[in-house]
Amino acid sequence: MSRRIREALEGLVGSGAFPSDGELKAGGWDFAGGLRSGPVVVAPSTPDQVALVMGKASEEGWSVLPAGFGRWLAGGGRPDVQIVVSTRGMRKVLEYEPADLTFTVGAGVSLASLREVTSLHRQWLPLDPPGGLEGSLGAATALGGAGALRHSFGGPRDHVLGLTMVSGDGRVLRWGGKVVKNVAGFDLTRLMVGSWGTLGIVTSVSGRLFPLPEADTTLVFGGRRAAALLPAARAMALSPLPLGAVELMEPLERAEGEGGLPNRESTPAGLVLRLLGSGAQVTEMEGRICSDLAGEYGDPDRFRGGDSLAFHDGLTSWEDGAELVMRLCLLPSELGSLLEEAEGIERLAKSSGSGRGAGEAGLDDRRLVRMSAHVGAGLLRVAVSGVTWDARNLASWVGELRSLRGRLEARGGTLTVSYGPPVLVGELGAWGRVGGEKRIVAGLEAQFDPMGVLARGGRTS
Amino acid sequence: MRTVNGLPDSLISDLISAVGEDWVIRDPESLLVYESDAQTAHNLAPQAVVLPSNTDQASRVARALYDHGVPMVPRGAGTGLSGGALATKGGVVVGTARMNRILEVDPQTRRAVVQCGVLNTDLSKAAAPFGLHYAPDPSSQTACTIGGNVAENSGGPHCLKYGVTSRYITGLRVILPDGETVWLGGQGRETPTLDLVGLFVGSEGCFGLATEVEVALVPLPEATRTLLAIFETLEDAGRAVTSIISAGLLPAALEIVDRNTIKAVEASIFAAGYPTDAGAALVIEFDGVDAGLGLEAEQASQCCREAGAREVRRAESAEERLALWKGRKKAFGAMGRLAPDLLVQDATVPRTRLPEVLARISRIAKRYDLQVANVFHAGDGNLHPNIVFDRRDREETARVEAASREIMAVCVDAGGSITGEHGVGVDKRKYMRLVFSPEELEALRGVKAVFDPKNLCNPDKVLPGREGPESAETEWPGKPEARP
Repeated sequence: MSRRIREALEGLVGSGAFPSDGELKAGGWDFAGGLRSGPVVVAPSTPDQVALVMGKASEEGWSVLPAGFGRWLAGGGRPDVQIVVSTRGMRKVLEYEPADLTFTVGAGVSLASLREVTSLHRQWLPLDPPGGLEGSLGAATALGGAGALRHSFGGPRDHVLGLTMVSGDGRVLRWGGKVVKNVAGFDLTRLMVGSWGTLGIVTSVSGRLFPLPEADTTLVFGGRRAAALLPAARAMALSPLPLGAVELMEPLERAEGEGGLPNRESTPAGLVLRLLGSGAQVTEMEGRICSDLAGEYGDPDRFRGGDSLAFHDGLTSWEDGAELVMRLCLLPSELGSLLEEAEGIERLAKSSGSGRGAGEAGLDDRRLVRMSAHVGAGLLRVAVSGVTWDARNLASWVGELRSLRGRLEARGGTLTVSYGPPVLVGELGAWGRVGGEKRIVAGLEAQFDPMGVLARGGRTS
Repeated sequence: MRTVNGLPDSLISDLISAVGEDWVIRDPESLLVYESDAQTAHNLAPQAVVLPSNTDQASRVARALYDHGVPMVPRGAGTGLSGGALATKGGVVVGTARMNRILEVDPQTRRAVVQCGVLNTDLSKAAAPFGLHYAPDPSSQTACTIGGNVAENSGGPHCLKYGVTSRYITGLRVILPDGETVWLGGQGRETPTLDLVGLFVGSEGCFGLATEVEVALVPLPEATRTLLAIFETLEDAGRAVTSIISAGLLPAALEIVDRNTIKAVEASIFAAGYPTDAGAALVIEFDGVDAGLGLEAEQASQCCREAGAREVRRAESAEERLALWKGRKKAFGAMGRLAPDLLVQDATVPRTRLPEVLARISRIAKRYDLQVANVFHAGDGNLHPNIVFDRRDREETARVEAASREIMAVCVDAGGSITGEHGVGVDKRKYMRLVFSPEELEALRGVKAVFDPKNLCNPDKVLPGREGPESAETEWPGKPEARP
């Protein structure tokens, strides 16, 4: 079958659009993450080519998974894919006008390349989604993910001004624009951001930039456990000071390279505060924070300028290498409950651990589970490694997580699985409950992907 | 079948049973109040107006209208400037005036839940004791409702730094056109599904009626610094804006009023002490932590002087700040002096294209022998070229219409949009083909149909008809290169 698909697509977009196995391997394509059979990987270089591919796929009923650089193919938990459409062929910066603080790039441009261009003009896109800076703008847009900077700058839904997409049935559609304010027509840009490729493939993105702050300082207060730092974290998240980021982590990332932290055996958890602004503002904020917190939590580690940036860049790959990544969300005032729930996950991990996590990573048992909270958003990320995913353990994880999801949903919260063993994601579902809006979601999927080639395994099926 | 204003008796009795006799308005004189919104060029009295007081009542009203196949037009305070709340022929307006309760303000989660008819400023007032406020501040904020802001995705002067309505809406309780109630988003949570809140915000009442709105609140800034720079020409003021942004400064607001506007303001009861011989005035505001704000203000002053400002005033007190803002905030009210009617236009262009676009607008006005007064959110490239005219003069009105179309085309040509914050409503449907291809318009129709399969909810708004006079008026000119 895959040979037939390949031949059909070659006829449409030429043989140059198919990266070789060697190229994919060298690019770190993550097929091991759970795609069941080897899909055809095609990397068109224009939206029109994407449209040809999607038109054909729609006609034939071939299932398609949109991708950037293929580093997270199992995200969203959909193993049944015949074609992977990569945006890596669309990697041009199409427009950048520094005085407008806006840009338009092909979806395959990485966050790192964009930064390279904008930093020459002391501007930046304050977006630090999980997956690292080598991820593409198209993927960041499609996944809608935000990192620590969401505290002050929001996420892709707030940065993306417009986009071009190809719908499931091969229509090239442009939404929004490159101006900061635009209310012409319905806000399809926001609908596409975070739609996980269930409605179409994003082929270019326009976004808003900000002036690089003059000063960038990170303060890290250490603690024995995250829970012990929670009152300080909440106080900071509710402070009138315009903080850049408020993250609560356990454990903190270890010392590696420039900007890493000293190894801190006694205080493995940390409250990470990022201060951005003019030199005078950051100095003022630092002084006030330290006078509020240092008495109880000790003197913080400080990272300034490039070290602060490097520290936070490092946090974007926090999820890398984990076997299971989940997002638990309640109201920000209920973060304590989430930390308690995470302890349950920790116990489960210990009882089903292979010991590999401990041995190979040089971590103690507890580090089978790592936690990182966006404090202002009431969102706790939990990353699990070192579990033996045999049938018995899978069954108990599915059971436990299902009941945890039920508890959170009963309180208006959510549990989503960003990444995990395919069997677990398949059993549990990546997203959880879709409520009364299910009819609308299904309707929108049908509008943009009438043959269901993208939405298969998506939100409502 | 017996009817009242063309509506079946059975519908009227269903509506009365939902909200009570007093809140189903159907006498023709009272209905006149609802014949237009603030875009008075379009007017049509509804057949009836219904005023529910809560979600349950609104749901019953929607259901009754749906069952009778009667169109529903949601309406907030009627301050909209695109005719979005204009009645539909044979339709009923559902007003939100009685849904004006603030249900919850929670400083611990920096959230509030309000009924849709709550006034924008009332929400900020309720949040103020907690050191918080609701950031989007449209000029009509003392009169407009949060529900209306949601429908229009409203902006405001301080959106340069804070962003527009959409950024602050985290949940919506929505009555779909068939009366079903759904929560979209909510509890500030990460949405595990499509961003339906983001889609609903700015949908101009075409998808349903949002009866309850959950918003994110932000801390009141600790300090502000406000400047007023006076320029000989509008172009100089535009250059100052570009220079401030290029210097890496991010003011909370950057607002320009031009010579015609200054004259109107100074001749009115709102006189703010702006010099009447000036070409333009630029209001600049910084806010945040007190430390360093003075330095930023000084840098901005310097940018203004280098761009040719003849004077830069600085507010030293809260009263002085209000005085500097007065000329900007009262601009629209003051324009009433210039002529009986005012067409408040709204468009955006990339900031760097402002000087060129302003010059082109000025040439268009001259050619059509019209007076244009510019007020705009310069930092966002959001223009309001306002045209004063007398509607009774049909020939002049036709020139206004023709000039407006050219202004829109100029803005789109410069890489901008036909509306930055006022919405499309009924007024700008005719320009939609300037920015969307037939296929994109069809996709927008498809999205509306998902929410409103029978096209009963604010029909005839936003989307141009597939056929009709608009098609003949404006042919799709091809995709402007500037769009992504």
